[in-house]
Amino acid sequence: MENRPLEYDYTVAKWFMWSTIILGIVGMSVGVFIAFELAFPSLNTVLGEGLSEYTAFGRLRPLHTDAVAFGFTVSGIFATWYYVGQRVLKVSMAESKFLMTLGKLHFILYILGVAAAVITLLMGYTTSKEYAEFEWPVDIAIVVVWVMWGVSIFGLIGIRREKSLYISVWYYIATFLGVAMLYLFNNMEIPTYFASGGHGDIMHSVSAYAGTNDALVQWWYGHNAVAFVFTVPIIAMIYYFLPKESGQAIYSYKLSLLSFWGLMFVYLWAGGHHLLFSTVPDWVQTMGSVFSIVLILPSWGSAINMLLTLKGEWQQVASSPLVKFLLLASTFYMFSTLEGPVQAVKSVNAIAHFTDWIPGHVHDGTLGWVGFMIIASIFHMAPRIYKREIYSKSLMTAQFWTQTLGIVFYFTSMWIAGITQGMMWRAHDEYGNLAYSFMDTVAVIHPYMILRGIGGTLFLIGVFMWAYNIYKTMSARPVEESELHSATPMGA
Amino acid sequence: MDIANIQGYAYVFALAFLVIVLYAYIYHLYKNRKNADGTDYEEYSNMALHDDLSDTPVADRYDVKKK
Amino acid sequence: MFHWLEKNPFLFAVGVFLVIAFAGLITLLPSFAQASRPVIGTTPYSTLELAGRHVYIKNSCNACHSQLVRPFKSETDRYGDYSLSGEYAYDRPFLWGSKRTGPDLHRVGNYRTTKWHENHMMDPKALVPGSIMPGYKWMFTNLVDIDTAYAEQITIESFFGVPYNKPVPMKDGTTKIVKMGKTLNEANSLALAEAKLVAADMKNQNVKDMIAKGQIPEIVAIIAYMNSLK
Repeated sequence: MENRPLEYDYTVAKWFMWSTIILGIVGMSVGVFIAFELAFPSLNTVLGEGLSEYTAFGRLRPLHTDAVAFGFTVSGIFATWYYVGQRVLKVSMAESKFLMTLGKLHFILYILGVAAAVITLLMGYTTSKEYAEFEWPVDIAIVVVWVMWGVSIFGLIGIRREKSLYISVWYYIATFLGVAMLYLFNNMEIPTYFASGGHGDIMHSVSAYAGTNDALVQWWYGHNAVAFVFTVPIIAMIYYFLPKESGQAIYSYKLSLLSFWGLMFVYLWAGGHHLLFSTVPDWVQTMGSVFSIVLILPSWGSAINMLLTLKGEWQQVASSPLVKFLLLASTFYMFSTLEGPVQAVKSVNAIAHFTDWIPGHVHDGTLGWVGFMIIASIFHMAPRIYKREIYSKSLMTAQFWTQTLGIVFYFTSMWIAGITQGMMWRAHDEYGNLAYSFMDTVAVIHPYMILRGIGGTLFLIGVFMWAYNIYKTMSARPVEESELHSATPMGA
Repeated sequence: MDIANIQGYAYVFALAFLVIVLYAYIYHLYKNRKNADGTDYEEYSNMALHDDLSDTPVADRYDVKKK
Repeated sequence: MFHWLEKNPFLFAVGVFLVIAFAGLITLLPSFAQASRPVIGTTPYSTLELAGRHVYIKNSCNACHSQLVRPFKSETDRYGDYSLSGEYAYDRPFLWGSKRTGPDLHRVGNYRTTKWHENHMMDPKALVPGSIMPGYKWMFTNLVDIDTAYAEQITIESFFGVPYNKPVPMKDGTTKIVKMGKTLNEANSLALAEAKLVAADMKNQNVKDMIAKGQIPEIVAIIAYMNSLK
C-alpha cells in the first residue's frame, strides 16, 4: 500500500449531501403543490378521482412537513456533522474503521427509514401529531438511526486530537440529546395489535396521553422540535461555515458560549405559547408567553454575533454570493426570532392563532434561515469534497435573488392573509352579530394564496438551480488544496 | 405542604442556583483571559479557522507537557 | 472551574441534558393528574365513532380543522360553548389542530346533520359555494376498519380504564352506558347496528346497499364521529 498522507474522509458527508438535495426537492415540490391546492382546489383531483385519496391536501400535508424537516433538514444536519465534526476535532473518519462502517450504515438505514415514512404517510398511517406523524414501527426505525448518529458523534469525539470541543460540536451534541428526549416522550404510544391480543391493523397505536395532556406533550415537543431541528443544529452550521468562509474569527467566542446556555435553558419553556387560550392551565400559558419574549435574548445573542463576525469585511457580502446566503440566513434568524415572540404575546396570539400568519412565520424561519443556511453549507462543502471549484458563480447569484424574492412573496402574502383572517373572524357588526361568515374569509384570502404559491415556486426553482450547480461542480475545474482554505473558489 | 408548594420552592431555589452558576460562568470566561497562563476563549475560534489535519490544535489532547 | 465543560464531552452532555430537561419537569408533570378527568356528560367513543375518528385522522382532517373553541365572544358566537379540558378526557390523540383553513369542528354535531355531511363530503362546493375543501368520494366505497377500532377499545379499557360497559353520568342526572363488544363479532354487530341508524338518514343507494350486506363504508363511520362532537 502506498503511503499517502492522512486526509479527511467525506464519503458519508457526500452521501448525506445528496440526500439533502434530493429530499429537499421532493419535500418542497409537495409543498408547492399543496400550496396551490389551497388556491385552486381542483388540484386535489389532478390525477383523477381514483387517486384523489393520495393527492388530497390532508394526505400530503404531513408528507411535506416531514419531508422538509426530517428529510431535507436532518440530512443537512448529518451531512454537515460528518464534515464539520472531523475538521474541528482534527480527526479523520479514515482513522477508525468502526466509525466509517457505522457512518455508512447510518446513511443506509436513514434512507430506508425515509422510504418507510413516505410510504406509510401516503397510505394514511398517521398518529395526527404534527411533526410526529409516523406510526410506531417507523418511530422505532427513527430511534435506531438517531442512536447510530449519537454513537458516531461520541465515537469521533473519543478519538479527537483537539482537546476542547468547538462551539458547533456543542450545538450538535445538544441537537442529539434534545431530539432524543423530545421524540421519545412525545411518541409514547401503545401498539393496539399487541395490546388487544392480535386484533386489527398491526401498524396502529394509541397515544399514552389523553386530551389536554396529549396537547401539552405534543406542543412541548412541537415547539422544541423547532428548537432542536431548525435552530440548534443550524446555529452549529453557521458557527463553522460563516467564520470559515469569510476567514474571520467569531466576533465574540464568549458570547457564543453564553448564548448557547441561554438558548438551552430558555427554549424549552416556551412550548406553552402554542396553547394560549386553550384548556391547559393558565400558568403554563403565561409561562410560555413570558419565556418566548425572554428567548429573544439568547437568539439575538447568536444572531448579532454572526453579523458582527463580518465586521470590517462587509465587501465580502457584495463580492461573494455564498456570503450573501450566510448573511441573509442570520438576518432571517433575527427576524423570525423576533416575529415568534410577538406572536406569543397573548393579545396578538388571539388574532394570529389558527391563521395563515403562523405558517407564514414558520416559513420565514425554514426558508430564510434553515434553507439558506443548508444551501450555503453545501455550497461550501461541495468544492472541498470534490476538490473542484463551484461550477457557476452567476448561477449562484441568480439563485440567491430568486429565492430571496420567493421568501418575500411568501411572508408578505401570509402576513396579509393571516391578519385579515384573524380580524374578520373576530369582527362584530353594530348589533353584536358576527360581521363575516367563515366563507367570507376564505374568499378574501384567495389572491394571497396564489401569491404564496408563487413565492414557494420561486424558492423551488432556486433549489433546482442549486442542485444543478452542485451536480456540475462534480466535473468543474479542479483546484489545489491551498485555494480551499477560506473563501470558496467559484467559476464564472 | 402540598405538592404545588414544594414545586414552587423547588423552582425558586433552582432558579436562584442557576443564576449564581450563570454569573460564576461569566466571571470564569472573562477572568481567564487576564491570567498569563489562563485560557483566552477567543482563541477557540481558531478551531474552525485552522482546521486542516496538519494544523496545530488549539490545545492538543495528547500533549501532556502543556498542562 | 468550568473547563471540564469544553474538555469532558460526557459531563458536558449531562449538563446540557439537565438544563433542557428542567423545563419539562416543571411544566409537564404537575398538571398530568388533574387535567384528564372527564366532565359530566363526556362519554367514551363507541366502536363506530372511534373507527370514524380513525378515518378523520387517516385523512388529516386536523390539518385544516381545529377542535378547540377559545373563550372569546366571536368564537362562542360562531362555534358554540368554549371548550373544557375534561371534554377531551377520551381523546387519544387530541385533535385540536393548529390551523383553521376550514371552520372549527369541536361542536359540529350540534348544528350539522347526517344528510348535510353526506352531501358535503361528496362535493363540498355544491353545498358551500366557494369552498376550497376537496370532495371525499372514496369514503363512500372504502370499507372502515372496525377491527382496529375494537383493538383500540380493548387497549384503552385495559391500560387507561376507559369506562366501557359502565354507567357514565350525564348532564341531566341520568347515566349512559357505552357498549363495547366482548368479542370481535359482537363489536362488529354493535358497529353495524349503529351504522344502520346513521345510514337511515342517508340517501346514497350504494351506501345503503353496503350496509344491508353488513359492510360499513368509511363515510358512515366519520359521520357518526362528527355527530358525536357536541
